Amino acid sequence: MIELRRAIAVILLFLGVGVGLHLLMTPLRETDQSATIMAMTLSCGLALAVLGIIGGFLVARLPKERINHVAEYLETMVRRGTLGLVVADNEADALGRLGHAVNRYLAFVKDEIEQTNITAKERQIQIKVLEAERRHVESVIHAISDGVLVTGAFGDLLQANSAAESIFGFRFDAAVRKPVDEVITDKTFLALLHEMRETGLFIPHRTVEWVQNRGGQSLAWRVVLNTVVEGKKRDRLSGVVVVLHDVTKEKEIARMKSDFVSNVTHELKTPLASIKAYIEMLLDGDVHEPAQCREFFQTIGAETDRLNRLIENILNLSRLESGLVPVNKTDLAVTEILRDVGEVMTPQAAQKNIRLEVDLAPVFFRVNGDRDMLYQAVLNVVSNAVKYTPEGGKVRISTYLSDGSVVVEVTDSGYGIPAEELQRVFEKFYRARVSSKVAPGTGLGLPLVKHVVEVIHGGRVTLESQVGKGSTFRILLPAVR
Amino acid sequence: MPKRILVAEDEAPIANVVAMKLRGAGLEVVVARDGQEAYEQAMAVRPDFLITDLQMPGMTGLELCARLTRELDKAIPTILLTAKGFELGDTALEGLPIQRVMTKPFSPRELLAAVQAALGN
Repeated sequence: MIELRRAIAVILLFLGVGVGLHLLMTPLRETDQSATIMAMTLSCGLALAVLGIIGGFLVARLPKERINHVAEYLETMVRRGTLGLVVADNEADALGRLGHAVNRYLAFVKDEIEQTNITAKERQIQIKVLEAERRHVESVIHAISDGVLVTGAFGDLLQANSAAESIFGFRFDAAVRKPVDEVITDKTFLALLHEMRETGLFIPHRTVEWVQNRGGQSLAWRVVLNTVVEGKKRDRLSGVVVVLHDVTKEKEIARMKSDFVSNVTHELKTPLASIKAYIEMLLDGDVHEPAQCREFFQTIGAETDRLNRLIENILNLSRLESGLVPVNKTDLAVTEILRDVGEVMTPQAAQKNIRLEVDLAPVFFRVNGDRDMLYQAVLNVVSNAVKYTPEGGKVRISTYLSDGSVVVEVTDSGYGIPAEELQRVFEKFYRARVSSKVAPGTGLGLPLVKHVVEVIHGGRVTLESQVGKGSTFRILLPAVR
Repeated sequence: MPKRILVAEDEAPIANVVAMKLRGAGLEVVVARDGQEAYEQAMAVRPDFLITDLQMPGMTGLELCARLTRELDKAIPTILLTAKGFELGDTALEGLPIQRVMTKPFSPRELLAAVQAALGN
């Protein structure tokens, strides 16, 4: 009878310990268990193991003192809150051996628990690191100036950075997981996304240009679309990543460059056309009179000079604009520049019977600037004034101080420029309608003035004009105090 | 009676040389220095042929040609001179009586030959 009870006790003991350990081992295999679930499982396993041990001893109705020994020991373990050993005594009977086996087993369980705890802590650290990495990647995406947009397999919005939010005018927080068709209104852009989803398995990468009309403004975007493909055979499209780069400025620069080349071509070809035509006339014997022959050669010479002047001006302006010309700024007196320009221009003005008044201020207003460049700028303005003022007219140059700026004022009694052309005269190669009739020019003088004054010296050029009455150019330069 | 040619060109040296070449071949030439003047001259003298520069202040050669075609009963056959030939789109000349586009620099000899061919001489 006692043997049977002991056998039941042993079965109970092993059942308890076995089930407990099974539960203990499970979290070690399931890598995706959370630390909490692991701890709970551990506790249950441990409790079952202990219950098994106690149940086994109780059922066996062991001698009272040996049971008491186990009970006291367990009480002690509970009080200390530790997992200890020594439930066995030194008896060499089956109970003693069982006790030793349980002890070894408990030691093994303790090791496993400790190892599991270490693993759980490592996992928690890994989770924190991953979370930090996720936040880092998100902040990197948000910091990108290009728009970044990610859609899922069904066209739902998964990710969008701040740039994308402002491009399409939505709030990501409110739009996340929504169908992208409900978030973005531009039909052309949506068509791009749809096409990418449909053909993305075969064409995983595309770069297209998209023109967006935003509030009447036309913006050009270079759109790079990439598909995210999954599956062993890479036959499942799980999303589309879109990066939008603003190319509006690049487009504008390309257009300006093209306009510039086109204008240069036109300006260079025009004198060349005259030269070719006049030479052909001479060669074909169309010119008979010696005086007329001479006139033809003079025209060819003048057109050659014009071509050369044009090339020089283009090179000068281009070198200035590209910063190739060294800028030597010193504190200098504007009055001295005006005096020098006046001296150079007086003979030309006299040829046209134009009165050139140079009103030199008694005070030498000083600016910090490049003398040669400022001289060229003032000379261009005064030269234009003399050129576009009819015979017998008047040109007046003066300088004064106004709101911390030294002002160089050039007023003429010339033909004047219509209001619609006032700003255009500062464009490269633009020549006011009246100008091209009155005198030769390249349309590069005033763009040079504007660049020298505004870009190189941080000043300003203004122009007022009345057709038939004349114009007033003002160059404003920051005064040196 | 000599055929009357209107030359619209804002570049004086080119206008002069074209006029001289045409006059030397016995044609009557009227010169205008911009688009508006050319329009006024055309309405006044009703030329048989127009030679116009493309880029002129006020009105381009194409605008001039279009306006004259619209306002006159009889279209004036035209030769267009331009330094920007490659920029003229395919449709720019549609509906206009432009017989030929000559790019600058051009040959006055060829221009005269083209005018004479167009006038049927």
